[in-house]
Amino acid sequence: MTIVTGKAEARRRVQPGRSGALRRIWQHRADYAYVLPAIAVMLIVIAYPIYYTVELSFFKTPPGLQLRDKTFIGLDNYTTILTSQVFWKVTWNTLIWTLGSTFISFVLGFATALALHRDFIGRGVLRAVLIIPWVISAVAASYIWKWIYHSDFGIIGAVLVGLGLADQPPNFIDNVSTVLPSLIVVNIWREFPFAMIMMMAGLQTVPDQLLRAAKVDGANAWQRFWHVTFPHLRNVSVVTMLLLAVANFNSFIIPWIMTGGGPSNASHIWITHIYELAFGRQRWGVASAYSVLLFLTLMTLGYFYVRALSGNERKEGSA
Amino acid sequence: MSTIAQTAPRAQARRRMRVDGWRWAGRIFLVFMLLYTALPMIWMLITSIKSGFAATQFPPQWWPDEPTLASYQKLLDPQNSVGQDFLRFFWNSLFVSTVTTILSVIVAVPAAYAFSRFSFPGRNFLFFAVLLRNMFPAVIFLVPLFILMRAIGLINTHGSLILTYLTFGLPLAIWLLKGFYDNIPVQLEQAARIDGATRFQAFVMIVMPLSTPGIIATAIYSFIGAWNEYIYAYTFLSKNEQLTLPVGIQRFFSENTTDFPGLMAASFMMSVPVVVLFLVLQRYFVRALTEGAVKH
Amino acid sequence: MTRIALGSAVLRGTVATALIASLTSTSALGAPPVDLSKWSPEYVRSIAGTQDFDTAADCAKVTPLDYKGRLTFWYQGVFEGDPDLLRQYYKDFFETFRKTYPNIQLEEQALTYNDLLDKFRTALLGNAAPMAVRLQILGGTEFASKGYLQPLKPEDVGYSTEDFWPGAMKAVTWEGVTYGIPTNNETMAFIWNADIFKRAGLDPNKPPATWDDVVKYSKQIHDKLGIAGYGLVARKNAGNTPYRFMPQLWAYGGGVFDEATPNPTYEQVQLDSPQSKAALQASYDMYVRDKSVPVSALTNQQADNQPLFVAGQLGMMISHPSDYNVMLDLQKKATGTDKDKAQTVIDNMRYGLIPTGPDGKRAVVFGGSNIHILKPEYVEGGKVDEPAAKAIICMWTSPEWSLKMAYAGSNPGNLNGFKTKWMKERLDNIKFLDVTTSMLPYGIPFPALPQAPEIMNIIIPDMLQNALTGAMTVDQAADDAAKRVRELMGGL
Repeated sequence: MTIVTGKAEARRRVQPGRSGALRRIWQHRADYAYVLPAIAVMLIVIAYPIYYTVELSFFKTPPGLQLRDKTFIGLDNYTTILTSQVFWKVTWNTLIWTLGSTFISFVLGFATALALHRDFIGRGVLRAVLIIPWVISAVAASYIWKWIYHSDFGIIGAVLVGLGLADQPPNFIDNVSTVLPSLIVVNIWREFPFAMIMMMAGLQTVPDQLLRAAKVDGANAWQRFWHVTFPHLRNVSVVTMLLLAVANFNSFIIPWIMTGGGPSNASHIWITHIYELAFGRQRWGVASAYSVLLFLTLMTLGYFYVRALSGNERKEGSA
Repeated sequence: MSTIAQTAPRAQARRRMRVDGWRWAGRIFLVFMLLYTALPMIWMLITSIKSGFAATQFPPQWWPDEPTLASYQKLLDPQNSVGQDFLRFFWNSLFVSTVTTILSVIVAVPAAYAFSRFSFPGRNFLFFAVLLRNMFPAVIFLVPLFILMRAIGLINTHGSLILTYLTFGLPLAIWLLKGFYDNIPVQLEQAARIDGATRFQAFVMIVMPLSTPGIIATAIYSFIGAWNEYIYAYTFLSKNEQLTLPVGIQRFFSENTTDFPGLMAASFMMSVPVVVLFLVLQRYFVRALTEGAVKH
Repeated sequence: MTRIALGSAVLRGTVATALIASLTSTSALGAPPVDLSKWSPEYVRSIAGTQDFDTAADCAKVTPLDYKGRLTFWYQGVFEGDPDLLRQYYKDFFETFRKTYPNIQLEEQALTYNDLLDKFRTALLGNAAPMAVRLQILGGTEFASKGYLQPLKPEDVGYSTEDFWPGAMKAVTWEGVTYGIPTNNETMAFIWNADIFKRAGLDPNKPPATWDDVVKYSKQIHDKLGIAGYGLVARKNAGNTPYRFMPQLWAYGGGVFDEATPNPTYEQVQLDSPQSKAALQASYDMYVRDKSVPVSALTNQQADNQPLFVAGQLGMMISHPSDYNVMLDLQKKATGTDKDKAQTVIDNMRYGLIPTGPDGKRAVVFGGSNIHILKPEYVEGGKVDEPAAKAIICMWTSPEWSLKMAYAGSNPGNLNGFKTKWMKERLDNIKFLDVTTSMLPYGIPFPALPQAPEIMNIIIPDMLQNALTGAMTVDQAADDAAKRVRELMGGL
C-alpha cells in the first residue's frame, strides 16, 4: 500500500498546485522528526564527500603540487581511465572477485543452512563455530590467511609436502593465475556465514504443512526442495546475494593486506586501484573520476538492491 | 498380493537409501565446512602460543615444542607498555562500539517506525536514500570525510568514528526493524490508544517489546561493524591514547620484522568479545531475520 | 672502480669545504667535523668515545630549558618487532625530553613505516598535520616541493651542516633550500648464513663478490639444499622493495635517472638502459630461471624474509644490522630446545659488504630519516610552536640521541655521534656494526624528486613483478617502467 499509492497520491496533490504538497508536508511535520536523525547522519556523512569527489574528478592534480593548485581539465580523467589498459584488467578482476565471492558464498551458505536445518546432536555448537569467521575482523583474517598461504612457509604447503603430495609448497598468492581465486577463498571464508544466517532465517519461514503435504503427494527430497522450499526463499536469496555483492564490490582490506594488488596487478580490484592512485600516486583527480564511475556502477546495482529490499511493499502495493 | 507386498518395502528402502544419501552428503559437507572454518582459527591459536623463534620454523612445529603464554601475558599485563596500550585500545574499541550501538538503536528505531507506519510525502525517497549508504565504499570517502570531520572539529576524537560508524549499521538496521513493524498489527496500537495511551506510550508499551529481537539484531550488527572497522579509524585518529584495536594491532609490524605470535594473540584477543557477544545473542539475530526481514 | 673513485673525490671535496666552513663557522658547538676522507671501520673505531657532549646544555642555547610551550610531533616509531634495546632508547628519549623541557607539553605519535606517508598526506589535505614530523628519507622532497615544510637547516638548531653526511643533506634539499635535518643514516649490508654456505659447498666466510655471484650462489644453494638462496623482495607499495633492488640496479651501472652519479640532474631516464636491464635480468634469472629465491617474494616484504632466514630456509639477503639484535631477542625469548637452535642461527650469521656489479661498482641505498617543521597553515590549530619544535629537533639530532636512537641498526645523523662513548659501547656489543658504517660511503640517495615515492614504491616494484610473473619479458618490463617514469616526469 505504499509506493504505488504514495506516488499516485502525490501526483494527485501536485495537480491543484504546489501549495497542496507543501501543506501535506506541513501536516506531516511531526512525522519527519522520527526520521530526521537518521537522515541527518546520512547527509553529513554522504553529501559532502560526494560533492567533493565529483568536483575533483574534473581536475588534474599533479603529484608535485598541492591539491589546491589543481587545474580544471573537464572529462580528461575519464578518458584517461577508459582508455587505459589497466582499467580493463582491473574491471575484469573486479567482476571475477565480486561474482565469484558472491555466488560461492551464497551457495555454500545456503547448503550449510540446509544441512543444519535438520536437528541433530551438536547442531548448536556447529552452527556457532561456523558463524565465527563472519565476526572476526577482516584485518585479522587477512593476516591469518596470508600466513597460511605463504608460498615458502605456509601450513598448506607444509602439509602437502609432508604428505608427499607435492615436491614443493604450491604457489598460491605469488602467481598471477591463482592469486585471485586464493583471495576469493579467504573472502568466502568470511562471508558464507552471513549467507548461512540469512538462509537459515529464510528456511524457518517455509511452512511445514506445505512440505508435509508435498511428501504425502509422493514428492522426493529434491522435488520438495525445488518446488516448495526454493520458491519461498527467492526473495531472501536475492536480498542476500545483493548485500553480498555490494559488500564484495566494496571490499578492500583482504586484497590490500594480502597482496597489495599484486603480483603484476593480478589481484587489483577497483577499490585497491583507487586507493593506490589516490594515496600511493597522489592522482587525486583520476582517483576521484574512478570513484564516480564506481558510484555509477553501484547505483545500477543499487537500483536492483532497493527493488529487492522493497519487493515486499511493491507486492502489497500492486495487490 | 505377493508382488505388491514385495515392492512396497523395496520402494521404501529405496527412498530411505536416497534420504540417507542426502543425509550423508549433508554430513560430509558439514565436516568439510567445519574444517574450512575452524582450521585457520586453530592455526592462529597454535601460533599465538609459540615463541617468536618457534613460530618461524619450517617445517612448522604442528604443536609447539614448548608452548608459552608469553604473548598473552604481555598483552594483558598492565605493568608493561604493550599491555597498557593493548588494554587502552581495547577500552577505546569497547567505548566506540558501545556508543555507536546505542546511538544506532536510538536513531534507527523511530526512523524504521516512521517508515513503516506513517505516510508522509517523500517517505519512499528518504527510505531508499538511507539504504543507499551501503553503496559507498569507505576508501573513496576517506579524504573528504577527513576534511569534513576536521571542519566540524571531530578529528582525533572518537566522535568522528562514532558518527561514521553509525551510518554503516543504519541501512540494515532500519530495513530490518521496518520489516518488524510492518508485521505488527496496527490494531494492537489502536487498542492501546483507545485505552487512553498516547501514540508514544503505545509505541513504548506495545511495539518496542514486540520488536526486541530486531533491536538486539540491530545492536549486534552495529557493534560488530564498529568493533572491526579499520580504515576510518586508521585515517581519523592519530593519537596513541585514542586508537582502536584493529589499528592498534599494526604495532606488531615493523619495517623489517613482524612479531607473529604477538599478532596472532592480539587478533585472537580482539575477536573474543564479538564472538562471545554474537554466540550469546545469535538466536535473536536469526529470529529477527526470520520474523522481520525475511517473512512475507 | 670508477664509482669508488668518484665517490671519494666527492667526499674529499666536501671535506675540504667542510673544513673551511668549520674554521669560519660560529657554530654553537664549534666541534670539527668527522674526517670523511679517512672513513673506514678502523677510523670509526679510533674516534669512538673520544668526546663528551652535554645535550641539555647545547639545546638550551637553541631553546631555553624553562621554555613553556606545546608541540605535536609524529615520527616513524619502533614497534614490537624491533629490537628491545632500540625500543628502550626511544622510551628514554621521550622521558629525557620531558625532564629536560618540563614546560613543553609534548604530544608525540609513533606510526609504522608503511602507514606514516599515507597518514601524513591525508593530514596535510585536511590541514591537520603535526607541528614537526620525522619522515623516512623518501618522503622529504615530496612535501618540500609542495610547500608544506618550513626551511630548516642544522644551523637553526645549533649544529652546522658539516656535522651531517653530505648525501643525507642532499635528500633534504629542494631547489637549493634545506628543509630538514637528518636524524639517522641507514645503509644496509649483506647478511648470510655460514652454515648454509658450507653445506652448499661455498666458502662459509666469504660473501658473493658480485651480483653475478649472487645469482650463481643462489642457484647452488637451491640446487644442493632445496631452500631459497637469495632473499629477493618485490612487493608493491612496500617501502623496502627499492631498498633491496636499487643497490643491484646501481651496481650493474643502471639507474632510474643519473642518481648514482655525484651531481645528478635527474633528466635522463635510464631504466631501459642495457645496464638496468641486466640488473632486472639477474632478478629474473634467480626467480624464474633458477627458482632459487623465495616464491613469496612478490607478496613479501623484508619482514617476511627475516623469519625465513631465522628458520634456516634462506641463504643470504640484504639486511639491516638490527637483524642481529632481533635475533638475539628471539633467542632470549625462545623456550627449551628452540633456544639452542636459535643460538646456532646467531652463530652462523655473517655480515659483509653488498656485492658489486660486473665492473666493480658497489652501491647501497642511502636511507634513513629526516626531521621537519611544518608551515603553520597546514597544522592543526594553525600555529607552530617553533622553539618547542626546535627543542625536540635539537635533542633528536644531537650527537648523543641521534646515536642512541639509531643504536641497533643505522648510523647517527649527526656525525659527532660517532665520537660518543655510546658509539664505542655499540662497537663492542653489536657484531658486524662496522660493516654498516663501511657501507656509508657507497650510499646513494633516492632521487630528490617529489615523484620519488611513486617511482620507488610503485613503478619499480611493478617492473619487477611484470618481469618475474612473466606478464612481460624483461625488456618489455624495463621499457614499460621507463615509459611510466617519463610520463610521470612529463607531468601526466
